[in-house]
Order: sequence, then structure tokens, then C-alpha cells
Amino acid sequence: MGLQIRGIEKIYPDFRLELDFRVRQGELLILLGPSGCGKTTTLRLIAGFIGPDSGTLAMDGSRIDNLPAHRRRIGIVFQDYALFPHLNVWDNIGFGLRMQHWSPGESRQRIEELLHLVSLQGYAKRKVTRLSGGEQQRIALARALAPQPRLLLLDEPLSALDAKLRKGLRIEIRRIQRELGITTLYVTHDQEEALVLGDRIAVMREGHIEQIDTPERIYNRPANLFVGTFLGQANLLSGRLVRRFSSPDGEMAAVQTAVGTLQARWPADPDSPTQTQHFPVELQIGREVIAFFRPEHCSLDRRPSGNTRSPNRISGRVRRKEYLGSHQLIEVEAEGEHLILDLSQQQSLPDSGLLRFSVDPVQICLFPAAKS
Amino acid sequence: MGKTGQSLERTAAGPRTILVLLLAPVAFLLLFFYFPLGSVLVGGLTDRGGRFSLGILASLLVDPYYLRIIGFTVGQAALSTLLSLLMGLPGAYLLARYDFRGKRLIQALTTVPFVLPSIIVVLGFVRFFGNNGILNRFLMSLFGLTEPPLRILYSLQAILLAHAFYNFPVVVRIVSSLWRRIHPSTEEAARSLGAHGLRLFWRITLPQILPALLSAAALVFIFCLLSFAIVLVLGGGPRYTTLEVEVYRLAKVSLDLKTGSALALVGAIISLVFLYAYIKAQQRSSFAERMADDAEKPRLGGMLGSVRGLFYLLYLLFMALVILAPMITVVAYSFQLRSGWAQQTISLEWYRRILSGGPYLRAVANSLFFACMTMLLSLPLGTVLAYVGARSRFAGSRLLEAVMMLPIGISSIILGLGYLKAYRQLPWTIVGSWYAIVFAHTVIAYPFVIRVASATFRKIKSSLAEAACSLGAGPWRLFLHLELPLARSALITGAAFAFGISVGEINASLMLYNERLITIPVMIYRLIGSYNFIGACAMGSVLMLFCFLAFLIIDRAGGEFG
Repeated sequence: MGLQIRGIEKIYPDFRLELDFRVRQGELLILLGPSGCGKTTTLRLIAGFIGPDSGTLAMDGSRIDNLPAHRRRIGIVFQDYALFPHLNVWDNIGFGLRMQHWSPGESRQRIEELLHLVSLQGYAKRKVTRLSGGEQQRIALARALAPQPRLLLLDEPLSALDAKLRKGLRIEIRRIQRELGITTLYVTHDQEEALVLGDRIAVMREGHIEQIDTPERIYNRPANLFVGTFLGQANLLSGRLVRRFSSPDGEMAAVQTAVGTLQARWPADPDSPTQTQHFPVELQIGREVIAFFRPEHCSLDRRPSGNTRSPNRISGRVRRKEYLGSHQLIEVEAEGEHLILDLSQQQSLPDSGLLRFSVDPVQICLFPAAKS
Repeated sequence: MGKTGQSLERTAAGPRTILVLLLAPVAFLLLFFYFPLGSVLVGGLTDRGGRFSLGILASLLVDPYYLRIIGFTVGQAALSTLLSLLMGLPGAYLLARYDFRGKRLIQALTTVPFVLPSIIVVLGFVRFFGNNGILNRFLMSLFGLTEPPLRILYSLQAILLAHAFYNFPVVVRIVSSLWRRIHPSTEEAARSLGAHGLRLFWRITLPQILPALLSAAALVFIFCLLSFAIVLVLGGGPRYTTLEVEVYRLAKVSLDLKTGSALALVGAIISLVFLYAYIKAQQRSSFAERMADDAEKPRLGGMLGSVRGLFYLLYLLFMALVILAPMITVVAYSFQLRSGWAQQTISLEWYRRILSGGPYLRAVANSLFFACMTMLLSLPLGTVLAYVGARSRFAGSRLLEAVMMLPIGISSIILGLGYLKAYRQLPWTIVGSWYAIVFAHTVIAYPFVIRVASATFRKIKSSLAEAACSLGAGPWRLFLHLELPLARSALITGAAFAFGISVGEINASLMLYNERLITIPVMIYRLIGSYNFIGACAMGSVLMLFCFLAFLIIDRAGGEFG
């Protein structure tokens, strides 16, 4: 069940949106992407503020794309809150109930329930224009949830708040969403927010979804270079596939790069359908590829340099150190390539000079090089 | 991607709803604005036999008498506009750049010309500058003269002065509202780069306030072009006749509707050109509206020691005096018993006469009735048109907006002429009925409702409408529960405007009234004509009371206009 989006297309003169995905019953799906990728348009299509050129929307098995926005029973939380300035907190939360003809008694009970849910009891008679940003956001959430919508849409709900408040509120949004078990689609361009909040994340680019998966897999097993580089930091080394072999870890491939031969597991993630879709499993020897790995998957290698049996050893010169409290980032230059290492604070390092480290073969992903 | 432009694609009313909404207002305007206007147009463009002909129009345009009238009309409007700009600019500067005690009051005073009937200005002017007016009497007693030394009345100067005094607050209002939104940092930057004084003003400040300056100038020009009562009374004769006054004379005195129509056509073309200029300038100045008025301003109180500060103070006093003087004069004079100045007796005689019934009380009752009906008609009319204009985007919606604002550029004299002409061919005539005057007043007043209402409708964020929609509000309930309450104070302002405009309207009323339908301004005009100034001032004071109520409501409710 949940929300089913099938073959939705919306065409603008300079932009084309193509969507085909599902929001599962009770899950919180994050729509993540750079600004202008079509996240908000997607939300507005689902809400019914704009109509698609083709395709269908279904909620719990029945179509909703033929319903006007006010009959869809979808709750929305807007980036600018959009609280009604002429109504107080109580009447804002009660607006949807009034529109949907709830009885006064039921309304009263429901509004009190929601004030309790967002921890703003005692705010009922306040003017909404006098509330802080965080309070306004909670009221906006309460108002959207009041008429018991089948689906909750949140459009960058925390982007107007300061960093500290943002962290507090996202925990709260998560708690409320779990408590109610409401199917939720949450738009953001903040990757940290996406990783923390999402049951699954859909990464969007230029009007379509690049990958849709759990936060762990999006981060560790990106479907392509765009997804990999959009979330978190990444090291990229271009090279050529030279060999394929079997090892105790599974099927492996060797890639010739500027810093030496790197071994990577291939296919990196046999369970992921998206990965094979972008890069055929048949290994083509001689093909140009890009090896991708995260800074935190590098570890210092203190063994003598003569030991050539351990794979993926890279040595380079320390160029820069960035102290970040709990960890440190080291920029290393090796054979003209600049690589970033993310190391724990305990590991003491020379300020400059040579450094040897290795990369876990299981953590390296291979992507086809851009066709040139 | 223009996503915000698409915002209300689904939440706003569909095309069919829009058509239904527009039906009544469009029908009303067709019948009571465009039909009479068309009749004037046809009248001006046909010969006596009813065939199309440019003959009458052409004969007007070569006749030296009419050419002089056209020239005088445009010339006096231009001079009056220039004078208003010169008088208003310092005020705009002070209101934009300084804080001082009484600023709120001065700001409120700039609303006065929008609600003060022109007949009051005329009356105040006659009483203040007239041969037997306050100024002359004061000078005579001061110097022991037997003849009044200043003979301002019934001259070009009188027209220009009255126009400037009446309209310069409009300049103050429009220009200062843009000026205050221009952050002083641009001037500070220019100053740090070496510009100062006039050069600073010319290079940096003027280009930024220019849109407001142009829009104020165009508006004042239109007002002066269409000014009627001031020219009729203060011009005092054929030498100082404008198109409006001549059309009135042709229609009411010579009963020559044909020539009147042709002349009205000429006037309409001139004023429409300037209405177009005004709308263009408006669109440019609304550009700047996003800038904030958050800069800290110096206080005028701290500058009073300097020559400059003193000059500012004097200007502000002068400004307040000029706006208030006609009104005070009128009220003060209404309590006199006789117009002789040797022995003055305070008396309520004229108020007693008004209240005792007869034509005076009838005029008051008529005016109130017309004003209330005008308010009731123009409020829904203006609201619907403003709503459709603000909420729907379709091909030609800009044009529709211009068409709806047309009555601002068409003088009410022409409108009255149209009413006199148009309905004669129909089986039922509306001339001579109370609703003819109400309909004419509604046509004159509703554009002001549109102005105030559409500014507010446009300001309502689309996310508010979408939020209401997602909560289950359909188009109708969206309007009822969200947009209408949010526009409440603007609509109150609009209603008060409609009331104030109707109660003070004289041009169309003068064309359409009869003894039974006489209004306060028409009564004042007739009392002035028979040199009964105390009576005129008493009626004027009653009229001002009503206008003051409208003014209070407008001032309290706020809303953007001008």
C-alpha cells in the first residue's frame, strides 16, 4: 500500500520531470537532491497543486490524481510554515477539521491531542505571528496532522531554522512520524538530515530519481558517481580494468591507477539491482573506470614498505591537516592525485612527510568513466 | 523552472468559475459605463444626421475658441503639477529620511486629498483668499485699507494655487513611500566616493525615486486635467475654462450634447494618454517595493538649533497649515450669523436650519443614501474584479486590468454626459432617478476598491492558499475562510473610500441631479453661486464630518492606495 507514483511526467519548457516510485505504508521517505532538481515540484504534483502531463498517482490502491487538492487528504508542512496569520494557534490547528466538518466536540479533543503531541499545551490562544520559528514549525506540523491525513508531505520544513533547533526538531519529527505510523515524504537538500531521518532516501537529479534505497546503502553503495559524490566526501581515482579474479571475499577486479593497482570487489553489491543496471556485470577488461572510496575507509599502514602482499597500499605526502575535534582530515598527495583520509584523533601523524595507508577492497566501488 | 509561477494552477478557481464570477461586474460596467461612454463616442463621431463623420471633431480642432480651451486645460494641468511637485518634494524627503514628533499626523494628512471633496477646497479658498476673505480682511484691518489688497480669486493663479494646495500631499505620499524604501547606504556610498549636495541628489537619489515621481506627477496631472469644481468656481469665467467646464456648459446650459460629445472625446483622449503613463510608472515603482524600510533615521528634534532644522520645521508647519486651512476656515465660518465682519456673532443658526428639514436636510439624506448604496455596490464589484485579476493568469489579463481601471481616466463629467445621452433611446430612462446617480458614483468609486483590494490579494502568499487547500478547503471556502479575512482591512478601506468619494462627488451629480435628488456638494455649489457663504460653510462642515469618518476608517484600517 502507501503511495504509488506511476509514470508521472511533467514537462516545462526547460525542464522535464519523470517519476516512478513508491512510498511504502508507514515509512519516511526522503527526497534528496540539489536545488532545482524537481523535489518541490514532485511534492506539489502529489499534493495536487499542479497537474501531471501523464501518469497516475494512487494512495492505498485507489487513484488520487483525478481528485482536486482539497479532496486528497494529504497533510503538508511548508518551508515558510504558511500559518494563517488571522487565526490563533487553536484555530490554525482546527482549520482542517472545520473544513472537513468535524463535530465541535471531536475537534476540541483532536486539537488538544495535537497540542500535546507537539508539546505546545497552553499555546492554544496565542497569536501565531508572535511565535518563534521552531514553535511555528510545530504548529504547522500539528495543523497538517490534525485531520488525520493519509499521507504527510514536508517541504524542507527545517531549512529556515538555526542549526541547533534543526537537530532538536528533526528528532521530534521522527518521533511523531513513528508514533503515528504515517506514510511520509520529506523533501530536503540537507544530506545529514536525510541520513538521520530517512527510512529510505530517494536521490534526485534533473527531474528523475537516481537511486532509492536505505541511508546505509545510499552512502556506502551509491548507484553512480552522482549519488556517491552528492552525499558525503569521496576520493576518486581514474584507471583501467586489468584483471578479474576470485578471492575469499568474493569476485574481485584489479584496476590500474596512477597510485598503483587497486583491488575492488566486483560486483561490489550483488544484491543491488540499481548497480548492475548502470554498469554491466560482464567485466570488460581494458575499460576506463573510476574507483570510488570514502575517506573513512582508509587506514594507516605502519608495516614495512617491502611487504607487497597486502593490497591497495598507497603512499603519499601529507599536504594539509584539518582538525575536527573527534576526528581529523588529512590531505595526501600521491603521484599527482589528491586524496582525503578521515582518521580518528588517536592516530598521531607527522605534520609533513611521507604517509602510507591502505584502502579496504570491499569498500571500493567501480563506476564507468564518463564517456569522452 | 518558473515553479512559483505555476503555484495556483490547481487551487485557484477554474476558467468556468472565473466566467461566472465576472458575469455580474462585467454586465454592470457594460451597461453603466461602456454604454454611456460609447454613446458619447458615437455622438462625437457622427453628424447631425447620424452618419459617421469627423466633421464636428475637425471643426472643433480648428476653432480658435476650442483650441484655446484645450491649450489652457493642458497648460494649467502642467503648471499645477509642477507646482505640486515643487511643494511636495521637500515633504517627501522629510517623511522618508527623518523621524519627528507628529510624523504620524503629517502622514495621515497626506490622505486628505483622497477624501476631501473639491468643493470644500473651493469654499475654503474663497473664504480665505476672497475679496471678503480672512486674508484680505486681516490685511485691511492691519493697514487701514478700504479696498481688499489681494485680488487672487477668479484668475489663473487661483486655479493653480488651489490645485497645488489640493494635490501636493499626493506627491508627498507617493514619493515618500518609495523614498523610504531606498536604503540610505547607496547615498552613503556615493558620499564616500566624493558626491555631495545637488550632484548626489541628481546622480544617486533622483534616479531611484524617479518612478514614484513620475507616477505622482501623472496622477496629479490627471486630477488637474479633470478638475471641475475648482475651475468652475475659482476660474470664474470663460477666460479660464477647461474642457471639463466647457463640456458641462454645453450639456447643461447650451443643451448642445453633440458638440459636448465631440469635446468630451478630445478630453478623454488626452486624459487616457496620461492614465497610460501613470499605469506604466506604477508598474515600475512597484518593482522597488521589496526593499525594506528598516534603516535608522535621524531625529528632527535634535536639529532644531540649526538653520536647516528650522527650515524643515517651518516647512512642516506650512504643510499642515495649507492642508488644514481650508477646512478650518469652512468650519469656523459656518458658525457666524451674518457675513459682515464688523460685528461677528457665533451662532448655530445654519445648523438649526439644516436640521429643521427642507431642501438642506434632504440634501444630507440624499448624500448619505447615495454614499451607502455606492459603497454596497462598489465593494463587491471591486472585490470580485480585484480577486480575478490577482488570482488568475490568462492571456489578456493585463489588458482586462487596464480596461477595469479606465474610469479613473474618464472624467465624471463625460460619464454624466453619457448618462444624459445614452438612455434617451431606451424605453426606460434612468436619468432623473436616484439609481442613475448611484451607478455613476459606483463607476467612479470602484477602481479605488480594486486598487486597495488587489494589492492585498497579491500579497497573500501562495503557500497559505495551498495549505488551506490541502486541509480540505475548496475554491469557494478558500476565499471565504482565508482570503476574505486576510483582505478584511483592505476591504474596509475600500468601502470607506467608496463612501467618501460618493459623498463628496459633485461633477456627475451636477449633471444628473434634480431638486429631489440634490446632494450636499451640489447644494454647496448653489449656495456659493448665490453668495450665501455661511450656508455653504455649514453644509461644508456637515460634508466634512462624513468625510472625516471615512478618513478615520481609512487611516485606521491602512491598506495601500495612491
